[in-house]
Amino acid sequence: MTAEQTSEFAPATADSIADALVGFLGQRLKTKVALDQELFKSGLVSSMFAMELVVHLEASYDIAILGPELKLDNFRTVGAMTSLVLRLREAEGVSRGSAGADG
Amino acid sequence: MAEGLAGERALVGGLVGDQPAAWDLAGELPVDLLRKLGAEGILCAEVPAAFGGLGASSHDNGELAAYTGSLCSSLRSIMTSQGIAAWTIQRFGDREQRRRYLAELTSGQLAAVAFSEPEAGSDLSAMRTQIQPSGGLVVIDGQKIWTTGARYADHIVVLGRYGDGAAAVVVPSDAPGVQVEPVPDPLGCRAAGHSHVRLDGVRLPASHVLGGGGQALSLLFTTALSYGRMSVAWGCVGIVRACLHAAAGHAKRREQSGKPLAEHQLVARHLSELLIAEQVSTRVCEYASRCWDAASADLVMAAVLAKHVSAGHAARSASTTVQVLASAGATDGHVAARAYRDTKLMEIIEGSNEICHLLLAEHALTTVP
Repeated sequence: MTAEQTSEFAPATADSIADALVGFLGQRLKTKVALDQELFKSGLVSSMFAMELVVHLEASYDIAILGPELKLDNFRTVGAMTSLVLRLREAEGVSRGSAGADG
Repeated sequence: MAEGLAGERALVGGLVGDQPAAWDLAGELPVDLLRKLGAEGILCAEVPAAFGGLGASSHDNGELAAYTGSLCSSLRSIMTSQGIAAWTIQRFGDREQRRRYLAELTSGQLAAVAFSEPEAGSDLSAMRTQIQPSGGLVVIDGQKIWTTGARYADHIVVLGRYGDGAAAVVVPSDAPGVQVEPVPDPLGCRAAGHSHVRLDGVRLPASHVLGGGGQALSLLFTTALSYGRMSVAWGCVGIVRACLHAAAGHAKRREQSGKPLAEHQLVARHLSELLIAEQVSTRVCEYASRCWDAASADLVMAAVLAKHVSAGHAARSASTTVQVLASAGATDGHVAARAYRDTKLMEIIEGSNEICHLLLAEHALTTVP
């Protein structure tokens, strides 16, 4: 489930990623979330939505979120997810085309 | 219809032959056949080529599951389990784990995935199995029930609690403290090796914990189950196709009151319902596979929809088929009788009908302001 598409959000900055995430979450959860709001513990994120969120981030930012990166700590808040996206984009190099099998 | 994996399909057909009835009656699959299919990468065909897999698309693997399911749902269940294990490892494992385990799973080793517990089915929050770090080791304690394929498995991927989150740990089935006990006389998929698994103080190197653990249980569970839902959904398409084939063939040949059954209008109606079921369930699975192959976030809901629609059609189709075949299909081992028993389980596993309805209703609410 690696993303082929290039980012529609480029150039992605911490602000633009966080804004887009707040928008996406607001649309799906029908509530405006704060950057530091606990999403999982509060029960806001259903089990279905947890996976949708991962796939959404991968497709939107052309990253592969695998293995140790899927830890809960990386998804607890909008701020944590923003850092994750920035870090993975930097590590993988967003212009490299698609994520390979070994992502 | 695309014919990806045509060679693999032929291999499955050749190896399976006319044995599913006997497997059903004996309640066991030949392990050497499972290992052979495993070594060809057929049991988890979506594993990327870089890891030794066939690198199949969700659609092509789905058609392979449907074909296998049309022959034998027990064998298709093994594919589902091996596929969930591989997918879970591919997503949650670190580089070394992906390399190591996916190579093993595409070279003849068999894997099962343990979700359900005596007190925890759909309700994740009730899961009790503990995976606890202890120095460089982890200690696993818990009880899993109805683990598909565990009877044959070399590895059992066990989901459990880990700190304030969750983890999946790859447990060798011969590790000290692991006890696998086959479910006696299951209603359906009788040869799929469903087993209860006890884990008593099982100590393993921490390197067996996928990605180091600490994932959200909900993410772990839904990611693993989504693959399972796709596989079950396509497997149900196969059952519907087998039913359609059996019922149409019988209705064409068998005569009553001076004409073939098919010319009796009430029987003809059954045949049309079977065709509708085959078409509808195929389309909903194709849609879900398209979402999966496009890595669209819609895949999560599409997998639930596909599983629910296909399982329901399969259950009704199996009932219809026994009705059309009557005494000709009413003996254990017969394709109609197997479908009748197997499909009831398909309405229960990877999200029961009721849970699917709840998830779909929840989704319906997200579509309005």
